[in-house]
Amino acid sequence: MSDLFNPTPEHLALRQTLRRFAETEVEAQAAAHDRDEAFNLPLFRKLGELGVLGLTVPETWGGSGMDAAAVAVVHEELSAVDPGFTLAYLAHALLFANNLAVNGNDAQRAKYLPDACSGARVGGMCMSEPGAGTDVLGMRTTAVRRGDSYVLNGTKIWITNGAVSDTELGDVFLVYARVEGAPRSKLSMFIVEKGTKGFSLGQKIKDKLGMRASSTAELVFEDCEVPVENRVGEEGDATLHMMRNLEVERMGLAAMSLGIARRCIEEMNRYASERKSFGQPLRDFGQIQRHIAESYAEYMAGRAYTYWAASQLELLRPGHRLDSDGVKLYCATMAKNVADRAIQVLGGYGYVGEYRVERLWRDAKLLEIGGGTLEAHQKNMTRELRGTDKLP
Amino acid sequence: MKILVSLKRTADPDNANKVKVAPGGAKIVTDGLEPKVNPFDEYAVETALRLVENGKTRIAGDTVVVASFGPKEAATNIRQSLAMGADSGLLFTTDDDSLDGDLVARALAKVVEAQKPDLVILGKQAVDGDSNQVAQVLAETLGWPSATFAMSVNLSADKKTVTVGREVDGGVVKLTLTLPAVISVDLRIVGAKAVTNNVTPAAFAYNDGPRFAPLPMIIKAKTKPIAEAPLASLGVDTGLKVRYTGFELPAARKAGIKVKDVADLVERLRTDAKAL
Repeated sequence: MSDLFNPTPEHLALRQTLRRFAETEVEAQAAAHDRDEAFNLPLFRKLGELGVLGLTVPETWGGSGMDAAAVAVVHEELSAVDPGFTLAYLAHALLFANNLAVNGNDAQRAKYLPDACSGARVGGMCMSEPGAGTDVLGMRTTAVRRGDSYVLNGTKIWITNGAVSDTELGDVFLVYARVEGAPRSKLSMFIVEKGTKGFSLGQKIKDKLGMRASSTAELVFEDCEVPVENRVGEEGDATLHMMRNLEVERMGLAAMSLGIARRCIEEMNRYASERKSFGQPLRDFGQIQRHIAESYAEYMAGRAYTYWAASQLELLRPGHRLDSDGVKLYCATMAKNVADRAIQVLGGYGYVGEYRVERLWRDAKLLEIGGGTLEAHQKNMTRELRGTDKLP
Repeated sequence: MKILVSLKRTADPDNANKVKVAPGGAKIVTDGLEPKVNPFDEYAVETALRLVENGKTRIAGDTVVVASFGPKEAATNIRQSLAMGADSGLLFTTDDDSLDGDLVARALAKVVEAQKPDLVILGKQAVDGDSNQVAQVLAETLGWPSATFAMSVNLSADKKTVTVGREVDGGVVKLTLTLPAVISVDLRIVGAKAVTNNVTPAAFAYNDGPRFAPLPMIIKAKTKPIAEAPLASLGVDTGLKVRYTGFELPAARKAGIKVKDVADLVERLRTDAKAL
C-alpha cells in the first residue's frame, strides 16, 4: 500500500512506529517541558534506539539511509504532539547529521556520525549572528589560518541544541565562518566540539514564546582554535553546503507545520462534536464549520505540496530552492492560522494550556521565523522565478 | 528454540465506532478501516521475542515464525511483526470471511506439524469477533498442554518447561507446562518483567507494551522471507462450523440524567434503575 504521503511500505511502517512512539512516549511530557523550558535528553536518546537520529545518514556511518519523504514523515508525526522537542530533533538530525553526512569527508563522518546516530552526542549548527539573520552572507565570524589550525572569533545566536541544559553546552556543532580575506559569498564550515578552548556558552536564551522544549543558545567563539582536519570541504565551499542543507531543513520545518495543523484540526473537530451551545453541537454552526473545513482543506493542500516537493528533493544535490522555500512559506502560516482557529473554536478552553492548542499556536509562530523568515522565502522564490515566463 | 506465533488482522480497533452492519444484518462492514494486527497477537509476538532474547540481543539459533490466514494484503501485517524482530512469515491465503476459529485452529495444527515449533503463542482472542477459541482448539487437536490468558511466562533454563501465570478470581494461578505447548496471552504479558527466560538478566526491564519497530529493522524486514500458499494447500477441510445468523447494532444508549446529591442518587438507583 503506497500513496503520496507514504511512498513505500517502509515509509508507512516508519509513520506507524513514530505515531505510536509520539502518543505513548512523547505526549505525556510535552506540556511540562514547554512550561519548564527544558530539553528532554533521555527522550531524545530514545529516538536513537528507533534509528531516526541518523535518518538520512548512510548505514555505513550508523544511520538509516532514508530520503526526504522520510524526513517529512518523522517531523510531521513528532510535531503533532511536541513541536519543541521535534525542533531539537531537526537541529540534530538535519542541521548537524545530514549536513555532515552530505558535505563531510570520510574521516569526519567516521568520527562524528556514529555518535550522532545513536544519540550519544547532541549536535547543532551555527549560522545566525546577532547582526546577520536573513542576510546570512553578512555574517562576521572569522576564521584565521594559523599553522595546522584555524582561529575562530565571533558570536552565533538562536542556536538550537546550543545548550542541553541551562548551563551546559551541546556536544558538537557545524559552524559557518568566513576565512579572513575571503569574499562575501565564500563561507567555510568547521566542526567545533564542546571542550574546545575558546568555545563557550554565552547564554541559554530564556522566555521564548514557543518551542520551549528545545534549547536555544548564544554561543561565543573567542580565539577558538580548531584543527585543520575539522574544516568541512575546502575554504569557501560552505556557502553551497548551507544552501543545499537549507532545502531539507525547510522541508522538515514544513512537515512540522503539518503535524501542528493536523493536531489542531483533530482537537477542534472533536471539541465541536462534544461541546453544545444553544442546545446544538458547535459543529452545527456555520461559523464553526468554516473554521474546520477551511483548516482541513488548507492542511491537505500543504500536505500534498510538501510530500510532492519531498519526492523531488535529492539530498545530495541542490536545486530545489523554489519549492523547499515554497512549502515552508505556505505551511508555516497555514499551521499558525489553523492553530488560531482551533483556539477560536475551543473558546476559553483553547486559551489555556490544558487543551494543547495554545501551545501549538505559540510553537507555530516560530516556523514563520526560524529556518528562514517568510520574507527570506519570498525573496528567494521571486529570485528563482525570475525569467520563468511559463510554468511547467 | 523455535516459536510459532499466529497473527490475525482486524479492522482498526481504534476506530471501532465506524464499523457498520450491512442492510438486513447479513454481515459486519468494515470498509475504509485500515486492517491492523490484532493487539493481543502483537503481544504474542512481543512475548515470543522476549523469550528468544538476552535483553537487547538475540539468542543464536532461536527463531520466531509468524503465521497468518487471510488475503494477500495480510502480508503487510506479517511484515510489521518481522520489523519488530520475528524471523520469517507464513501466509495462507483465503478470504477473511471464509475463516472461523475452528478452521484456523485445524489449519494451525497442520502448520505446527510442518514447522515443529517448541511453543505456539497466540493472542487470547481477536478484538473483532472476540471468539476466544483458537488456542484451546489447537491444543486439543495437537494433544499438547496449554495455558490460556497468560499474564506471565517463565521459560526454564533447560528450555523443557514453561511456567505460566494466569489471573483468576482471588489471585494468580501458576501452571507449569512441558514443551511443546500452546499459550495464549493477555494484556499484562507485555509488562516490563512479565516474560523471563533464565537468560536475560533479572535486572533487565523491557519497556511496557509491544516494542516499537525501529527504522533499521523496518528496512531489514523488507528482505525477510514470507512464504505464501493457498489455505487449501494445508490439506484441511475448509468448511466452516461457526455460522452467523445475523448482526445488529446494540441499542443506542439513552442520555443520562444529572442527580442533585447523594440522597437523590441513591433514590434514583432504587426506584428508576432498580439497582439497589
